[in-house]
Amino acid sequence: MQNNEQQTPHEPWYKYGVAFIFLEMFIAIAVSVYSLYMAFNGLGGFPGKH
Amino acid sequence: MKTHKVEQLVIATVGFFWCFLMWFSTAAFSPSIANHYNLSLAALGLLASSAIWMAPIGRIIAGWAADRFGAPRTFAFILAVCGLVSIASAYTTDYDILFIERVIVAIAGVSFVVGIQHVAQWFEPGEIGTAEGLYAGTGNVGAGVGALLLPRIFGLDYQAAFLWLGVIALVIAAWYLLRGEAAKHDKVRATARQSADLRGTVYVWTRYIAIALMLAYAMSFGLEIAMNAWLPGYFTRGFHEALLALGFTSIAGVQIAAGTFAAVQSFTASLFRPFSGFMSDLFQRRGWTPLPMIARTLPYAPRLHWLAISLLLITLSMVALTVAGLMNSLPLSVMVLVAFGVFVSFGTGGTFALVPLLFPNRPGVAAGFIGGVSTAGGIVYPLVFAHTANIHMGYLYIALFMFIPFTLFYFWAARYEHHPEDHGIGDGLLGRPKPVADKA
Repeated sequence: MQNNEQQTPHEPWYKYGVAFIFLEMFIAIAVSVYSLYMAFNGLGGFPGKH
Repeated sequence: MKTHKVEQLVIATVGFFWCFLMWFSTAAFSPSIANHYNLSLAALGLLASSAIWMAPIGRIIAGWAADRFGAPRTFAFILAVCGLVSIASAYTTDYDILFIERVIVAIAGVSFVVGIQHVAQWFEPGEIGTAEGLYAGTGNVGAGVGALLLPRIFGLDYQAAFLWLGVIALVIAAWYLLRGEAAKHDKVRATARQSADLRGTVYVWTRYIAIALMLAYAMSFGLEIAMNAWLPGYFTRGFHEALLALGFTSIAGVQIAAGTFAAVQSFTASLFRPFSGFMSDLFQRRGWTPLPMIARTLPYAPRLHWLAISLLLITLSMVALTVAGLMNSLPLSVMVLVAFGVFVSFGTGGTFALVPLLFPNRPGVAAGFIGGVSTAGGIVYPLVFAHTANIHMGYLYIALFMFIPFTLFYFWAARYEHHPEDHGIGDGLLGRPKPVADKA
């Protein structure tokens, strides 16, 4: 099975699935960075203020 | 009916996203509910913790039902019941009845294993990691989205939120029932149905590799939900001076800052999960097997190695959390927490990239056991964290006395080069179940 998997090209949906994965990771990183920037500057965490 | 596996993935993902939204919707409105009914702090804690109560046993039953009756019917049933009770809770004026209704709505969380089974019945071994990752990771975001958006859309009007959540759940239930197909081929479906008997269930529960995966999921998802509950209090108490120094002087300000640091873990753990499934697929394609002891020739051996790496990283990050805490460094602690969230997602995604491959004929029963029993971690870990003399030491104790033994057990259970699922407790008594064999 392992060899078959290496030789079989992925179906068309796969590249869109992987693109969506990277979009989700980008959102995670962006929200984390923004939240931490706000918090470490005493401005309150995303999405509110204190 | 003409359909495509991507349509089935989308239906399962939307259904799970909505279930996750309903699962944690009570928590999103707990301040409003507490204010409306004048709840004490203890009562509020009871309401918050009730979300997890039904998960361990509920997921075991749901996994079996998915194999037996098919994922579309099982998922639609869960959505319909939770949706109807959510609508009823919108009109309830007695707190005791409301509490019972919200515990029933929290059953929505058991739908995870039904969707895992559904996706496993449609996707090929080479893409199962990415498919399951997309399903579970995107669905998990429902909790974060709910926490962020529900109070902003509905304000204090939790009754309206419960009403709309319930109505839309009924619409999705109808969609799932109309367009959902249990499996790609009738033969696959028939095999899962036949294998959902007591003997097959006992067989899965007693396999060393199934127990190892259950512990791996307890180290990842069990820890994730434990940390969701634990971290806000940890930052508030463990870094109180540092938060004051940042300018968060009011109680509300400290809560916002502590909640923000805690949310970073939740967000990264959810949104990186599909990436872990992708990495599992990548390990598989490239044939990477870098670790000692673990099998190298099994058809899915590289995926076993990816999960083992994840478990080692989770354990190391737990030690690092204690070190950062003892150094009293808030920035370092938060940075470690970001890495910790990513490593936890590696564990969750890596586990369910393996489950359908190890038990292809019993995906629901296996997902129910592994995804269900492991959620007990969400109850156990906070108890350990809360009973250490130094608030920072709990992570180290969990790593030393639970995670290292769990990881060693995983290495031991994953060492078989042929059919690891053949090895388990009571082999002499049980033998192999007759109707189907779990050979991939």
